[in-house]
Amino acid sequence: MNIDYHALAPEIILALTVVAVLVVDLLPVEKFWTAVVGLGGLFLSFIPVLTLGFCESLEFCDDTGVRVLFGDSYVVDTFSLVLKGVFLGGAFISILLSVGYLESDRFWQGEYYFLLLSSALGAVVLASSRDLITLFVGLELVTGPTFLMAGWRKGDARSNEAALKFFIIGVISAAILLFGMSLVYGVTGETTFTGIRLASAGIVDQPLFTMGVVFTLLGFAFKVSAVPFHFWTPDTYEGAPTPVTAYLSVVSKAAGFVGLLVLCYLAFAELRNIWGAALWILAALSMTVGNLIALKQTNVVRLLGYSSIAQGGFMLVPFGAAVTAGASPAQLEDAFFATVTYLLIYAFMNLGAFAVVIAVRNRLVTAEMDAWGGLYNYAPGLATMLAIFFLSLAGVPPLAGWFAKLVMFRSALSIGGGWAIALAVIAVLNAVIGFAYYAKVVKAAWFDPIPEAIPADELRGRSIVPSLQFALGLTVVAVVLLGFFPDVIARLGDLTTGFVSGF
Amino acid sequence: MTIVQFLVLGAAMFSFGVYGVLTRRNAVLVLLSVELMLAAVNINLVAFDRFLADQLAGGQVFALFVIAVAAAEVGIGLAIVLLIFRNRRNANVDDLDLMKL
Amino acid sequence: MTLADYLPIVLMAAVGIGFAAVSLWLSWRLAVNNPTPEKLAPYECGIVPLQEPVERFPVKFYLVAMLFVIFDVEIIFLFAWAVRFEQHGWAGVAAVGIFVALLIETLIYVWKRGALDWNVARRERYRTVVAERLEESQRVGEAA
Repeated sequence: MNIDYHALAPEIILALTVVAVLVVDLLPVEKFWTAVVGLGGLFLSFIPVLTLGFCESLEFCDDTGVRVLFGDSYVVDTFSLVLKGVFLGGAFISILLSVGYLESDRFWQGEYYFLLLSSALGAVVLASSRDLITLFVGLELVTGPTFLMAGWRKGDARSNEAALKFFIIGVISAAILLFGMSLVYGVTGETTFTGIRLASAGIVDQPLFTMGVVFTLLGFAFKVSAVPFHFWTPDTYEGAPTPVTAYLSVVSKAAGFVGLLVLCYLAFAELRNIWGAALWILAALSMTVGNLIALKQTNVVRLLGYSSIAQGGFMLVPFGAAVTAGASPAQLEDAFFATVTYLLIYAFMNLGAFAVVIAVRNRLVTAEMDAWGGLYNYAPGLATMLAIFFLSLAGVPPLAGWFAKLVMFRSALSIGGGWAIALAVIAVLNAVIGFAYYAKVVKAAWFDPIPEAIPADELRGRSIVPSLQFALGLTVVAVVLLGFFPDVIARLGDLTTGFVSGF
Repeated sequence: MTIVQFLVLGAAMFSFGVYGVLTRRNAVLVLLSVELMLAAVNINLVAFDRFLADQLAGGQVFALFVIAVAAAEVGIGLAIVLLIFRNRRNANVDDLDLMKL
Repeated sequence: MTLADYLPIVLMAAVGIGFAAVSLWLSWRLAVNNPTPEKLAPYECGIVPLQEPVERFPVKFYLVAMLFVIFDVEIIFLFAWAVRFEQHGWAGVAAVGIFVALLIETLIYVWKRGALDWNVARRERYRTVVAERLEESQRVGEAA
């Protein structure tokens, strides 16, 4: 059997890193080295992603275009490469966020990095999956370790609760997803996405097929925490250790969206009216409910939880707009492009927002908004970065989040038709509501007086550990630069639309 | 034997699982109910595989992966239940209400 | 958007909700609700339980059960390879070898971490007792 090892190199290196972290954990050395090995492994596995991406301009690389492995079930194309890069980068920054946090208390460090890397490996596999089986295995590898990571503060009842809620919802959603997948397999007789798409042409109006598709989408709706399947999200985000929350809200959520993208635009491409209608409703509900509840929050982590639900809704808007019957392949490509671009930018700004929350929490212990008053007076750098990330999440122009919102609206409006326009109007209203609560946090940090209850020595406080500084720097530069030069991210997004009109 | 009989069995087992998940208070029993749902999926997959006469045996392979993943999930679930049991001496799902809207 | 596509889902949901509602309503209408202290007791006969059972299974059983379930079920991947053993030849053996090596690595990890140790506390106590006795007997021997 001939296997293209170059195409699999990121996964192989990451798997070896996972093994190495376990071995290092057993050796009698400082646990800090497990984090170093993890970071090194993530960096090393990023190299083959680059060499695969720039294959045509490299001498040693035999350029075969899209690399198809294992009988259509594993594909390495530009879409999967871009997303692998995002997952590896997200995991890299998550580890940077975790280092100081884990060392500050008695946590089990070796296992933590082992689990985080396993989850990242799952995400990398997921990006290439073009088959129900590999998709399912990848998705479970992403979510499985995160159940344990959510409960990492073992003595804390909130963390325990977060883990159990997340776990129960996670396994139920996996079961629903599998039930849907089994029906899809039964009706089409195929597990590969191309096979399903070819087989589905004649049986679009079979009730069993519709049920299979809807169940599969429901399973993913849990994973991307779309309303009304979002109940676990705020509790888990609040209770889990904050670096884990950052990981969940970026890598784990992005993994769910990648699954949705390949399923909707490849496997179920012929059933656009079914998934379009379902995701239209989910998008409208997620944006509205997520934003309205976020308005009332006083805890910044919980606010970011609801904000991530609402942001998920914005990412679903292009899916929902695609329900318009007359949408041309080019318009569908644009919708696909909009979701991917939003996802890429969201990853950077949300990780940055959580990095700021971790840094402030390091000093003030609490994440209640009242306690954050006057942050600018004693930590001007942190307050500035807080403003950058939160205003970017709100979509204020010179920052990256603005471009994400722009492409999302553009795709919905260019597809046109009553339903798409209506969804765009709902999205605009929600962008306004969103601005209100993001601005509330920024206002508290910049203009409110310092609360009297905080002792003065806490304000001078501890310095930020170097790993966290590095993570903050990376994300700030990304968010600001991408805001001024959106062409970079647009180019990346453009590269990914390969298989949308591939038939 | 027709495929419908297997599908009805699968759907019934899945529904029993959902019922158990929604009504049981003990986390271990919730876990058992989820296992029932996954077993229903396996029945579906293997039945479809048999009746489609799939050359690649996709359904059977899928079922193997479902079994393995289900086992891993049980391991994770038991670990979390143990953690909660150690801290609060019971494993009732309803008692987990520290955080509200 | 053609709503007709959703007809099967709506029908299924209607039947499901209807069935649940009807059976709940029936049991509420038909059942006689007349609780007495005996009926509310966990067991209607035998010794009246005075307190909740305190000691359940020791946690160690759960740990071993967990490890057993995981290592046991991984064998099914060997099964998938075994039914096509001859077609895959040495490449298949190598692939399965890697898989088993990973399992062994995990086992070593679990072992070194002490998850397989049974009754560590009691064994420690036993060891100290033995050491004390040994010391004492040596002292007695030296004195003699």
